[in-house]
Amino acid sequence: MRYSALTQRYFADAPASGVLVGPDCARGAAGSRAAGTWVQFDVQVDPQDAPAPRRVRAVRFLAFGCPHVIAVAAWLAEQSVGMLPGARLPESVQSLQERFEVPVEKRGRLLIIEDAWCTAMGASLAPHPAGGLDIGAGGPIS
Amino acid sequence: MSREPRGVYLDYAATTPVDPRVAARMAECLTQDGIFGNPGSVGHPYGEAANELCEQARAQVAAAVGALASEVIFTSGATEANNLAIFGIAHYYRDAGRHIVTVRTEHKAVLDPCRELERRGWQVTYLVPDRQGVLDPAQLAAALRPDTVLVSIMHVNNEIGLIQDIAALAAVCRQAGRARLHVDAAQSVGKCTLDFTALGADLMSVSAHKAYGPKGVGALVVSRPRAVQLAPLHHGGGQERNLRSGTVPTHQVVGMGAAFALAHAALDEEPGRIAALRDRLWGQLAALGGVLRNGGDGPGGNLLSVPHLLNVAFEGVEGESLLAAVQPHIAVSSGSACTSGTGEASYVLRALGRDERLAESSLRFSFGRFSRESDVDAAGRVVAAAVRRLRRIGGA
Repeated sequence: MRYSALTQRYFADAPASGVLVGPDCARGAAGSRAAGTWVQFDVQVDPQDAPAPRRVRAVRFLAFGCPHVIAVAAWLAEQSVGMLPGARLPESVQSLQERFEVPVEKRGRLLIIEDAWCTAMGASLAPHPAGGLDIGAGGPIS
Repeated sequence: MSREPRGVYLDYAATTPVDPRVAARMAECLTQDGIFGNPGSVGHPYGEAANELCEQARAQVAAAVGALASEVIFTSGATEANNLAIFGIAHYYRDAGRHIVTVRTEHKAVLDPCRELERRGWQVTYLVPDRQGVLDPAQLAAALRPDTVLVSIMHVNNEIGLIQDIAALAAVCRQAGRARLHVDAAQSVGKCTLDFTALGADLMSVSAHKAYGPKGVGALVVSRPRAVQLAPLHHGGGQERNLRSGTVPTHQVVGMGAAFALAHAALDEEPGRIAALRDRLWGQLAALGGVLRNGGDGPGGNLLSVPHLLNVAFEGVEGESLLAAVQPHIAVSSGSACTSGTGEASYVLRALGRDERLAESSLRFSFGRFSRESDVDAAGRVVAAAVRRLRRIGGA
């Protein structure tokens, strides 16, 4: 399989991979490893005492999947800083498919990413007030 | 000619580079000052000289595989040899029966001709080996029928390196009487002892490019003592005992003969050196944890395998990503066919009981004449880094 330069770059660098722990964090995941694709986003929003409107401060992702899945998840995590909590994908699944030259057979995997994104962003509207998330693998952002 | 860095080559089971000594012999058969004549034109010195070289090559191939020179039929490769064996037997003996027995872990070059015969009305039984890939002779005995005309079983499995006990299976065929045994030995030459006569098979396919010879040439060995008959696939010229019409490509068969002679001569020492490389890499990979050896992790598994193959499944990583992460640096084969974009797990590994995820996350490393410890160490570092990184990103 050949990958676009953008896919190669984000797959190789995978910026923003990891997890977020602490107050003002929310999490969303979709898919399953057993089925071949699983994605998780952690979203951290401004503290509650920050001036309104609160915005997304950081996003981290984990992904078990093909290079397209990892690259798209990494790109989305990178794009999301400064968004409003609850925001939709910065562009449509169709646009993501074209931007990363994802084969049509893999479109379902992009929908899994979208599901994880929407779940995380939805949860970020009311992030965990204190103490963060109970997470397993990984660690806090550095 | 300038080349970009291509990484470490550990895909010798897919193909091998032509040995420079072989290439030199081939080059002598191409140009005006060389032996370029048509080996079928024995009426003049050009043709006679070419014919002489071809017969020398036939003798070299025969000597390397334990056959008579007169049993060697040159083809375009092992795929054609497999097709000639399967269709040739099926059609010649079609009035005696239309049942074939083969194994689910065979190469596509055997399975696809069998599928085609099924479409044409033949019946095919696909045996399932155990989790190590071993086929029990009793399984074969139970599958044979009065109308079975052909059994096709590979000698060395191209994905896991298992060596099948062909002699025991041949004995079963002989006891049953009518079924001829064809053996795909494309992966065997130079990797382990290969003695056609001792195996007791009726037909055997071999390939040049798996043994440092050129692509585009192979052979079907057809037993003369067993008087095996075949219907040809090609017509027009009657070359190769009327079984494979077409001008014999002198440079190709000379290359095959030279390559097989070199491979045969190296059998005493090369497998031991290669086994040490395989074990060195396995030690490095096993240290990662969550690593399973496909086909060689059972009791006595190593004793049944050729040394040049190591097939490993990595837990907690996705197969396509693993391949994408390592292939810029090392050339290996994966446990999935990623041509469609969706990835199809290896049917061989699936038949051996690996689940889909592990089959997809498997890599086949294969070593060869030009492999060195530094290659193995570089591969070990690349794979370890990729697995650790993908496990971290995947939250494993």
